Parts: sequence; C-alpha cells; structure tokens
Amino acid sequence: MRLPTLPWSTGSFLSLLLLPLALVSAEEHSSYDENLLLRTLPGNSVLASFRFVSNGTFNSHHSVFPRSLAQILQHSQTKELHLKFTLGRWDAERWGSQIWDGRTAGGTGVELWAWVEAGSDAEADARWTTLNNALSGLFCASLNFIDSTRTIRPVMSFQPDGHHAEDIKERLHLLHGTLPREPVCTENLTPFLKLLPCKGKAGISSLLDGHKLFDAKWQSMSIDVTPVCEEIDGVEKCQLQMVQTVDMVLDVERSLRKKDSVIPRPPHLDQMICDPNKFYSGSDSCFPLDDISDLSWSLSEMFGRPIRGSCPLASLPTSQSINVCANVPDQRAIYVSAGGTEVGRGDNIRCFILEENTDFDIILPDQSPAILLPNIEPPLYASRSFTGHGQERGGVQAVLRNPSPDRHVEFVYLESLPWFMKPYLHTFSATLDPPIETQWEEKIIQEIYYRPALDRRRGTQLEARMRIPPNSTVLVTYDFDKAVLRYTEYPPDANRGFDIAPAIISILAPRNSQTIFSIRTTSLLLSLPTPDFSMPYNVIILTSTVMALAFGTVFNLLVRRFVGADESVRMNPVQVLKVKIMAAVKRIKAKRERSGKAELAKKNE
Amino acid sequence: MASTSGPNAASEIANTLSTAAVEQPPLNVVDSVDSKVTKSPPPDTPENIRTRSFVILSFWIVVISVGIPLWWITTAIYRAPLPLKEMQSWADGRACRAEFPLLIDVEAPLLPDPENLLKTVQHALDDANDFSAHHLRLRLSTNAPKSPEKEEDEVVAATLRLSPGPAGKPHSYNLTPSSRVINLSYSPSYNPSTSLSAFVASTLQEIFAEEQQMISYLLASTTSNPSSSPATSSSTSNGNNGLGKVKVNTADITRKMSRIVRYSPTYHLTFSLFTASGLPNSWDVEHAISGYLQPLLDALGGISTFTVDSQIQFYASLSSSVSPTWVPGPEGGEEKGQWVLEKEDLSSFINSAEWPLVSITSYPTINFIIYIPSKDQTPLLISDSATNAFLLPQWGGVMIMNPNHGSPNSSSSSSELTSHLSKEALKPALDLFATQLLSLLGAPTRPASLPIRLDSLTRQRSAELVVSASSTLGSLYRLTLALPSISIPSSVSTSVASTLLSLKNACRELKNGRFAGEGGALEEGKNAAIQAESAFFEKSMVGQVYFPEEHKIAVYLPLMGPVGVPLIMGATKELGRLFRAWKAQRAIR
Repeated sequence: MRLPTLPWSTGSFLSLLLLPLALVSAEEHSSYDENLLLRTLPGNSVLASFRFVSNGTFNSHHSVFPRSLAQILQHSQTKELHLKFTLGRWDAERWGSQIWDGRTAGGTGVELWAWVEAGSDAEADARWTTLNNALSGLFCASLNFIDSTRTIRPVMSFQPDGHHAEDIKERLHLLHGTLPREPVCTENLTPFLKLLPCKGKAGISSLLDGHKLFDAKWQSMSIDVTPVCEEIDGVEKCQLQMVQTVDMVLDVERSLRKKDSVIPRPPHLDQMICDPNKFYSGSDSCFPLDDISDLSWSLSEMFGRPIRGSCPLASLPTSQSINVCANVPDQRAIYVSAGGTEVGRGDNIRCFILEENTDFDIILPDQSPAILLPNIEPPLYASRSFTGHGQERGGVQAVLRNPSPDRHVEFVYLESLPWFMKPYLHTFSATLDPPIETQWEEKIIQEIYYRPALDRRRGTQLEARMRIPPNSTVLVTYDFDKAVLRYTEYPPDANRGFDIAPAIISILAPRNSQTIFSIRTTSLLLSLPTPDFSMPYNVIILTSTVMALAFGTVFNLLVRRFVGADESVRMNPVQVLKVKIMAAVKRIKAKRERSGKAELAKKNE
Repeated sequence: MASTSGPNAASEIANTLSTAAVEQPPLNVVDSVDSKVTKSPPPDTPENIRTRSFVILSFWIVVISVGIPLWWITTAIYRAPLPLKEMQSWADGRACRAEFPLLIDVEAPLLPDPENLLKTVQHALDDANDFSAHHLRLRLSTNAPKSPEKEEDEVVAATLRLSPGPAGKPHSYNLTPSSRVINLSYSPSYNPSTSLSAFVASTLQEIFAEEQQMISYLLASTTSNPSSSPATSSSTSNGNNGLGKVKVNTADITRKMSRIVRYSPTYHLTFSLFTASGLPNSWDVEHAISGYLQPLLDALGGISTFTVDSQIQFYASLSSSVSPTWVPGPEGGEEKGQWVLEKEDLSSFINSAEWPLVSITSYPTINFIIYIPSKDQTPLLISDSATNAFLLPQWGGVMIMNPNHGSPNSSSSSSELTSHLSKEALKPALDLFATQLLSLLGAPTRPASLPIRLDSLTRQRSAELVVSASSTLGSLYRLTLALPSISIPSSVSTSVASTLLSLKNACRELKNGRFAGEGGALEEGKNAAIQAESAFFEKSMVGQVYFPEEHKIAVYLPLMGPVGVPLIMGATKELGRLFRAWKAQRAIR
C-alpha cells in the first residue's frame, strides 16, 4: 500500500500501521496480515476499521489468497478489482475526514470497478459480464444486474492502483458499475469472511458478526485486488495483493442498550441528560445532550465477544505485525486483558500484538467530561439533493465546500445517471456561493467529459474537473427530464422510486492528477411517473368493448328487419316485465285460493 | 334492409300471416295493454330474407376463413420440424448396433505353425464370446514394413508376442505397465492344438474381460434391445467356460459405473489441503503434481484434457454431523489411541456449506482433498481402511493425513504439526489420487498395462458418449411430445441434425475399429454429445410462454364474447327459419 502523505491524511498512526505491511509484502509470497484500528469519534461513536491483506501468486496454486476469487479474476481476465459494499452515510461534519482517505469505502449499495484486459470494447463488455455474474454468485449480491445501462467507463476519476506492465496497460479497460438499491446484509458478510484464511475463527476477524456490523451507523466492506510489484535487490517481484477492509461506526449507547433489553425503549427521563438552556426545558420536556461524557465500553460489549487470539498466519513471516491499535485521546485510560502486549505508543495511539489462543479485550472506562480527538478536516464537504417538483422534470444540486483557508481543491465530479434521467448539459453550471468580491479569474469547471445516454442501452456519464478556491462553497446544478418507462421496466414496488447512484468526487493531487481522496455523496431517490399496473388489461377490455360495440351495431343493422313504429306489435321491455309479473302474481293468488279452499274443505270434514 | 312497410300492404296480412314464419306477432296473451289499434308489419319479401341469409353467411365465412386463421397464425408457437422417428430409433438403440472389433497382432517368430494356432484360438474366442458386439480378431503380424495407409485404418489393440519359455515351466504371460505388448512364454513341450491355444485364448479373454463387461453393461442398461445380453448372463457363462479366473459380477460393475464422472473433453482438478488449524501453511503441491501426476494426465490427454489448481484452507471444520469416536490404544502399548471415523460418517464428511470447493469453470470439477485434523484429533483414522482415504463417486477423493503419525519418533513430534508439507510427504497422497482419478474416469482396474487400459477407456468412453447422446435425443423426443405448447427454435433442429450425423459417423468408426484420433469414434461421440446437450438445453425452449392458458381466456373473452354472441344468435335464428321453412314445405307436400 502506498498512500501519499497529505496535510489532511490521518497522519502518524497510519504510517505506524502501514510499516509492518510493507515489511510483510516484501518478505515472502503468499503472506497475510491483519490489523484493527479503533478510534473514538464525537457523539459516543467508535470507528472500528478492520484491514486484512492477503498476498497471492499469479499461478493457479493458492494458499492464503482465496482460490474462488483468483479463479474469477483469471476467468474474466480482470487485472485489478475494487468491490465495495456500503450502508449509511459518513457524517463528515461530525466525524471528520473519512478513514483511509475514503479510498476503501464506496457509495451506498454496491459499487464495483475493475480493469479488464481485452482487445476490444465488446470483448471487455463480455468479460465484465462474466465478472459480474461470477462475483454475484460468490458474494450473494445482485451484481449480475450491473448491465450496460449501469456500466460506465470513467475517464478522469480512477487510476489503476496496481503495477501493470506497459503492454498490458494499453489493453486494460476500466469499467465501473453501481447498484445503489442493493441492501448490504449478512449474506454478503459471510462469503466475505470465508475469503479470509482464518475465517473469523481466530484473529481480529473473530469480532465480525452480522448482528453488530449491520447495526452500525455507517459501515463499509471493501475488497481491492491489485498486482503489487516490489523491487528487491534489483529483481522485481510481483504478487497479487488483496486488501479486505471492514469499516464501521458503532454507536456505543445503542450497542450497550441492546445488551440490557433487546426491544428498544426510550430511556427514562431521569436517565437523560437535558440541555437546560433550551427555552422549553422543564420537567416534562427535554432536549437530550450528547458529548457530555464518554461512556465506558469494551470490545466484548461492543462486538458481543472478545478477540479469540491471533490468527497464526498473520504473524508470518515477521512477528512485527501489529494487530490492534486504539486511537484514543492520551488522557483517557485504556485497560487491556491478558493476551496482548503493548508495542509502540504514539500520539494518541496505542498498539497491541495478540497472542495465539488467548482471548483479548480492550476496556475503556467512562470519562466525564468527554475528551475528543482533534478533528481531522476532510478536503471537501459534499452533499447532493434534488430540486424542482412535478413528474416531468427536475434538477440536481450539489453543494461542495472547501474548508481549507489557504488551498485550492481540484477534483473530478462523476455522475453516473440511469438513462431514464435525462440531464441537459447546457444547464450544468457551477456558481460560487457567495460570489467573492476579488476577481476570480479561473473558471470553476475546467474540463467536462460527457457521454450521453442511449435509451435502454446505456446511462449518462458526466465527469467534470473542477477547482474550488479556498474557503468557499460551490453550487453545482443541472436540470433533467424524467423519461416514461415501459410497463415491464418498472421494478417491484415502483412507487418507492428509483435510486440514483451517489456522485463520486475524486480529489486530485495538486501536481500529477492522481486521486488522493474520495468522497461519495448519498444516493438519491427519484420518483418517476408510475402507471396503474392493471392498465394493460383495462386497455384490452376497453378496446374489445369498443370493437364489439361497433361490430354489434353494424351486424344488427344488416340483419334486423325494420318496420314502422305503428306496425310494431311488440311492447317495450318494461311492459313485458309488467305483464309477466302480473301473470305470476295472478298464478300465486290462484294457488293460494285453491289451497285455502282445500283447507276449508278439510276443516269442514 | 327490411324496410318495406306501408299501409297498403296491411290488407295482405290476413291471408299471409299464417304461413309467414318470421316475425309472427306473438301477442295474443295480452288483451288490453294498448288501447290503440295496431297494424301488423308487412310480410318480409323473399329478397330480404335471402339477403339476410347472405349477410349472416358472409360474416361467418369471413370469421372462419380470415379471422380464425389469422388468430391461429399470430398466436401459434413456432415448432421446428424434428426427425422424430430417427430420434426415437436412436433412443431405442435400434439405429446403430455398436461393434467393438479389436485387432490383436500376434508375433510368433519361433512357432512352427502359427496360422493353425491362430485359427484355433480365434475359434475358441468366438465360441466363448457371448457378447458379440465386442470381439477380438487375431492377425499374424508380418515383419515386413507396412504401408502407411494400412497402418492408419487398422489400429492394433495389443500385440501378443509368443516366445518359448524355459523348459519344464507351464505357460505364462506378463504385461509391462508401459506398453501394449503381451509377452507370452509357452512351455517348449506344448501340445499345439489344445493346451497352448486354450491358454492364449484364456489370456486374451482375461485381459479384455473387464472392458467387455463394462461396455456390455453400458449398452444393455440404456438400450431396450433384448439381443444385447445383460451383464448377469455374461458373469455366469464366464464361470462355466473354464476361463473362470475373471469374475466380475453385476453389482460390482454397477458400483464401478456409478462412480464414473460424466464424460467431458476437459476436467478441472482441484487439489485442496484442508487443515483444522492454522498449520501446515504451505505445501509443495506444484512440484508434487508435476512430478507424480502429470505423466498420467499427459497419457490421458487423448481422451480428456485437464486443468489443475490447488488451495489451502485453514480452520476447516468438519460438519457437525461428523463426530469421530475415540478408541484408546491397548494398555501399555506404544500407541496412545486413535480417533476413528465410521463408514456412515464419510458420506457427510465434506462440509459443503463451509468449504469453498465450487469452481466457476464450465466443465466438471474433480476434487481431491487432503484433510489434516487438528492436534487434539490426531491420529484420525477411517475404520477398516488401509489407505485412510475414500472416494466419493462422481465427485473426487479424500485422504485424511496425519502428519508425523506412524513415524518411529512420533511420540516426540506428534504434539507439533509441521508447517510445510514437502513433495515427498505428498507422494502417497498423490499416488492415491492418481488411482482414484483413473477409477473416477472409468478406466478398468486391470490389466497391468496402462496403454491397454487407456485404450479400453477410450472405447468405453466412446460407447458411453454414443449412448448418452442417444438417450438425450430420446429425452428431447419425449419432451416435444409431452409439451405441445413448448416452442422449438430452428437451432434445435440443426443441433439435432448434426447430432444424428455425428452419431452415424461414430457408429461407423466403431465398426471400423477406429476409436481414438482425428475423426475417430471418441471425437464423433464427443460432438454428438455436445450437440445433443445444446439441443436439449436450448434456452428459449425453457422460457415460459408469455400468457398462460387462463390468461388467454381473460384477454380474449372481452372481444370474443360480445362479437360471438350476435354472430351465433344470428346463425341460430337463420337456421331455425330454414328448418321451419323446410318443415312447412314438407307439410305442404
């Protein structure tokens, strides 16, 4: 892993974490390493970031690198793969800069991009389909629904992370697909864990459990497979490296509450800490306050179990790999159970090495008042929403804010829109908000790459390279039309709306236009005009009725005999009915009379 | 139309009313509803009646001649024509009587009268052979160089080399594992007419007996042809005719056949090391495979090709239903005791929920698994198994390996598992896997010569392919008859045609004795099987028709009902009128 050091990068502790990785990957083929980073976040949240690195060879004999994935990559000629499963929203305003510079997390739902080796676009598409179908089976996700309408070929946003030979590089095709509607769940975690050599039975992966992971405020699972080459003594050694990460933000209060009662109940008024400064504050109303104190928690409380010893494969070949690091303010106490030895202590960070076959737990006592870690500001804040109203057209507005007081931010804004959302490029504009007084010479939008949609064949791809001056906000807006879909194209529960994939913002390094930070906005929910789905039958019946009516009229006109009104001896139907009813009444009366007579006769007898 | 009405016509009513069948004023029921004096309509003119009949008739003609055919054509399902008869005859095994003539060269440079011997042996063989499709043919080999084209069309299954043995010894024969030559040394003091010929015949029969039984089983089990004798009779007759060394009963053959993996031109072999703990973490499988298994795979190359991969899976747990029992060792003995797996446990040994064994290849995968139990379950043994391994029919093989167990200094090192399995340590496992692979592919267990076994595997696979392609055709035949609403695209029809062509070729090549090689029976059989499969598993045939039957009614009824009712009513009225008119006419007469 090579992460450039940046002003906003998470700094010292990352380098501490990455140091053993570099050692491991250089040392031997088929090696494995894993580590866990815990960080306290404001609002009684804890970020847990699991990271597993497996190295494998390019041939068909596999050890720690999973055979199932290697076979798929080989079969589809995929040279580099990035697969992300994400749920929730990273609250950058509160939690600061995203872990791993946002490079491991994807947009809501499933995001997949890969460099596929192929001679032509058609061949690349075929291999991409193979890849999607195979991964869909491996991860129990609906990746097979990534078809040509959901696939784009980004031009500026992504660069390969791995080392590819020059001759191969020319034949590589980048394909990118998203499934914003995919619900990420336990069935995706289980195959994810199966790819690990220790399979969640030992090592830090023993903490991973679907109940806790999917209860998090935000969580992301990612798999990045890249060929990595290192030059050792003048000889270039290459291997296939897979980095699996699981990042999650856990709510301490929620996790602890679950322990006491499974059913969520509001806390009693006595237990709540209220804000007395609110004007409505009183005996019966409360504005709850967070961040008053840090709650006490431990690994076994948060995850339901302690770490079950180290994974023996992770300590190979060097015993220097660090397993668990806690990024906690120095002032806060940390207690650890047996089974781990502390190594290295940095600025607000403490690291531990696990022992084999011994449970390990970290306990943080409660702390009042709360101590927060220095907030790491992200390079850009981004949010996106719909504007406009009605069923026919709408608009999108993205708010991008550069918090830095002195630096420009240059980035690529990528939108992958479905074909039924038809943007007007001429309305695409970026405005500074507020407009600054000093003459802003440069344009904000520097370059646009636009690939228009084709109905039912491909979606819109819109990439815009932008530059935002320091300490300012940019509004990116564009209008679009909503297409009318065919009857069969609506998904089940069509009235819910259609998910629009998150916009991807890749922040570029000032000089070499390499991506150094990624941000995803949230996905959007687009409501399209939805028909009544019994419509086809109604149409059939209505048409048939009209045709039958016409036919009947013509047929009758041709076949019937017409006579003068005074010649008709027929009565109208009402009269016929009247006569019939009267006849029936008469009959009944006669019957009654007869039976009455008979009875009389009986009596008389 | 019938609009002739007028007051002047009213006077005619009285006399025509009784005969006019149509529009008869029916109302004598009511007497006083209408106080007005009503006029009766004038009688219908004959032209009107005729025109009305024509109108109704023409409507019906349009409906029948245009409407119904149009509806039929637009809603019909396309069914390509299939050669059903031919398909059925292949499925019944009537179309081809497969023959497996085997040519055996006899080299007898020192024998005085080889022709005579050959004749006797051939007679003996023919008499003993009860499965006529598979027969041996002897030919005296001339040492003269053969012309190349002759070499091509006559493939020699084996060479029998007769040479005098040492005096005083009975006749004997031996086979080398790597050649097709049967070295038969006869005792110098032989009786040419009886003893040697009988021995030669029995030798040949013994060598090819297993193959013959397999093929006869294959052909008999799938075809309903009564003439090809089932395997039961062959086993009994074998016992009777004095060549009784070979005894393979039906159950044995059935078991053997049930193991065989479906034929495919390519197989994927996956070698997996499952270890219950984190050790060993490396194995020298790459070199072990290339050293111990690759020669066999190369030899099999003529029949199928193989792709190979391997994996190590750590912390592989057995499924919960498998629980080995602890059997303590004898008191005071060196052995501490062992964990024993019963036969019943083996069927659920593979923990398919947890173990990643699935491959994404389109061709079948054969799995070979080495399982290393955890430290506290070592040694793990299968009861009554010398090799500590077992074979899973049509799936692969499993071997349970207890490293450091059984070695003399096991007591010292058994507590620690090795971290690396060397090439030498894997040799027993791979040798075993080689045997298992052969039996999974269906190679006969005898004779010792590998080329002969592989040849016989080729013949067996050819037979299997022809039979399976035929039975697929049969299934397709039955399917098309059973589901009249299924659509048959034209691609199915072409696939069927090319299957039939390949089957015919295969059958011809079998008769000619050309089994392997370009255009041989095996290759034609392969083609036939592939084409038959593609015809049977045609995607568009599986797809459901958009409207099921009951939906059709729902869709058609709103139109058919309102249109059909006036039409039918008009027709019945008209027919009723005609009937009454005909009756009235008859009454007049």
